[in-house]
Amino acid sequence: MPPAALAAPSAESSLNAAAPVDLRFSQFFKSPIGPAGLELSDTLRGAAGRAVRLMGYMVAQEQARPGRFWLTPRPVRMSEHADGQADDLPAATVTVLLDTAQRERLVAHRDGLVTLTGTLSVGRAEDEIGRVSWIRLQLPPDALQAQPSDAAEPAPADGHGHRH
Amino acid sequence: MKHLPSLNAAACALMALAAAGSAFAAPAVTRLTPPSERFSSGRPEPVIARFLPGQRFDLQATIKPDAGQRITAARFLVDGKPVDATVAMRDCASGCVKGISAETAIATVRAMSLEKAGRHEFSVEATQSDGQKVSATGNFDVIPFAAAMGPKVKNIIILLGDGMGAAQRTAARIVKGGYAQGKVIQPLAMDTFPATGLVKTSSLNSIVTDSSPGMTSYVSGNKNNNNEEGVFPDDTVDAFDNPRIEYLSEYLHRTQGKALGIVTTADVFDATPAGNAVHTSNRGAGTGIVDQFFDDRSRTGLTVLLGGGRKWFLPAGTPGSERADGNDYAFSPTDAHTAEIVKRWGAAPGAKDKDRDLIKEFQAAGYRYAPTKTELDAATAGAGADKLLGLFAFSNMNVALDKIDGRRGVKQGLAGGSVVDDYGFPDQPMLDEMAKAAIATLKKQSKGFVLMIEGASIDKQAHNMDSERWMLDTIEFDRAVQVAQDFARENGDTLVIVTADHECSGAALIGGSMLTDQALRDAAAKKGAANLRDKVVGVYEKAGFPRYRIATDGYPEATDIDYRLLVGYGANADRYEDWRTNQTPLRDSQQPMVKGEPLKWYPANAAERDDAQGEFLVTGQVPGEQAVHTATDVPLSAFGPGALAFTGVMDNTDVFFKLAQAAVKGATAPADGSGAKHPAKAAQTR
Repeated sequence: MPPAALAAPSAESSLNAAAPVDLRFSQFFKSPIGPAGLELSDTLRGAAGRAVRLMGYMVAQEQARPGRFWLTPRPVRMSEHADGQADDLPAATVTVLLDTAQRERLVAHRDGLVTLTGTLSVGRAEDEIGRVSWIRLQLPPDALQAQPSDAAEPAPADGHGHRH
Repeated sequence: MKHLPSLNAAACALMALAAAGSAFAAPAVTRLTPPSERFSSGRPEPVIARFLPGQRFDLQATIKPDAGQRITAARFLVDGKPVDATVAMRDCASGCVKGISAETAIATVRAMSLEKAGRHEFSVEATQSDGQKVSATGNFDVIPFAAAMGPKVKNIIILLGDGMGAAQRTAARIVKGGYAQGKVIQPLAMDTFPATGLVKTSSLNSIVTDSSPGMTSYVSGNKNNNNEEGVFPDDTVDAFDNPRIEYLSEYLHRTQGKALGIVTTADVFDATPAGNAVHTSNRGAGTGIVDQFFDDRSRTGLTVLLGGGRKWFLPAGTPGSERADGNDYAFSPTDAHTAEIVKRWGAAPGAKDKDRDLIKEFQAAGYRYAPTKTELDAATAGAGADKLLGLFAFSNMNVALDKIDGRRGVKQGLAGGSVVDDYGFPDQPMLDEMAKAAIATLKKQSKGFVLMIEGASIDKQAHNMDSERWMLDTIEFDRAVQVAQDFARENGDTLVIVTADHECSGAALIGGSMLTDQALRDAAAKKGAANLRDKVVGVYEKAGFPRYRIATDGYPEATDIDYRLLVGYGANADRYEDWRTNQTPLRDSQQPMVKGEPLKWYPANAAERDDAQGEFLVTGQVPGEQAVHTATDVPLSAFGPGALAFTGVMDNTDVFFKLAQAAVKGATAPADGSGAKHPAKAAQTR
């Protein structure tokens, strides 16, 4: 399939232009997955570049990276130090990206179902550490609280509740 | 006049100093490989590197010249005699780790080996452009084969429960086997192995290992650094050019024609499966690792490869592919530093080829490809395939609890499906089914085989401190142990060992719940240690005998039983504990409100933070989010000819030499306490 345009229309203008489309993980591709790769659905391809609303679980990471997190149809925990890319992420994992001006920010993990609204982008993209993603959700700036949360104590970790 | 002698003295002193200054300026050897205490500290013991007669390994030295100088020549000597092989030289103008000067030289001799048993000293002698020389000395042992007392084994099966320490084994026995007045009702298969020893698991650089050296110690006889597999550390950034150590699979394939099988529930590029066939200092270099599985199959004899990790085998343009040039391998044909790997090891040169279709290439090379359990069954029906590739998930396969729930039709997902439905892979095999398929394929090999079977998610779920999921994965692993033991009983020519790379999470069986499941749910609503610890954790005689009912599929009917087994964690991170199985779909029904934006955030470098749930906080001993590996010894159990050689407290590298002894010369110990050559058919001790 042709590489997707990664320079999607700005999230803000998309959200103003049309009501976001409700999208489900189960609509992304033909399931069960066949013998080789994913067969992306027309629904997913049609939603590329548009504003979508997606409900899922934030992946609980050991080593969160600023400016992004993953969203999955099932709650997933990662042990990046021990496992690297031998992980439990499903094929339908969506890479959620903060607005370019907010890429230095760490998003706090939130348990339970989360609904996110942003611009969908579909196609192969390789990030700065060589990790490949196929489905990305670009969040608008107002997806984040206006202020940073109360500063947590610096590492080592304090009382996080990751009741998975 | 009085000052003249002083001036002369001062002048002499200055000249002496100047002479001494240039004598102190000299090239230095900063690394000598194979590693040795002889080089690092001057002491001859303990010997770090050990090899079989004829086992291949690389010699390497990093030599730092004086400023403005170059290293013009280097040679290696073993036992005082120059090594007759090309010395590949490279500098560090680029491609070396930070802090290494550009003129630093790295000299390597690839794929050398010795037949003569005993202690060997080796040295490097290097010359600098101004004529100065430097040398350094290290040592290694070549371990002789012993005279055999019993038969040679045709096949070796290594079952590795990742992270599986004594607590994990005991928990699986309690859940699956049950106890009656203190006696086990049904032992685990691994409980019936006649020989058990303790294994010391440390790596080359730590008492706490990870899965890379945790595997390779067993199958190369040598310690590796954490994150590195089948290689010694070096000073270059290339992940694939490190000094290599020949694997058991490569050695037995080369000398005896044995085949190799690798079976895992993890992504097949992961450290434990890769650490049987691939040489890399970066366990995360997925594209290069899976490429080498295929490209070097004539070196390793790879015949069966089953597990997850399909994302690495799809061409980069196929949705779902993870292939990238950045973690691929390619050896330069002109730079001797890597060209000699190809020449002397017979390794493939590789290429940056992310668009490659590896599944098709495996198929074209005669491997039957199975993407599901149904296809796996078809591949082994009748005469069956001769070579087998199974890729049942994009990354790790789903854990046993979730696979079994899928088969039982437990549907609790967002889309009304089961976990395996949400992952898109509803037809994944269990580890024992994969083991059966692997053995059915490999037993056709006339020269025998080496098979490694990994229960990978015991460790992964122990990191998550998810007790029920690692318990069920251990039960799944023991079912695979049973398959291997049954096969070994057929002909008495197979040595089976059950072991672990390390323990994970410091799991401790602290007692039994004093509450029914319903009462536990009520206590969780009340929250806090008083309700969730003091009223729940039954210690000593209050633990009793937790009773799990086992369904006909061999797994517990339910894990949320009344008076369940309770697990504490000695290597835990902070966690909130309510003792119940992590069935987050139940949380969905408890939390009908789905949260939306705005999301909380922190400036980069602030610790992540969550809302405290007000539950029972178990403060962690370790920082971060996950439980960690521990340095504790792990049990190893053995079955088959020579099983009783695997007793005592042994180093994980010792296991390699015992396995090689059994395959090359023959067993040096009986199969079991009865002294029988063939292991007894009946189940043994309880």
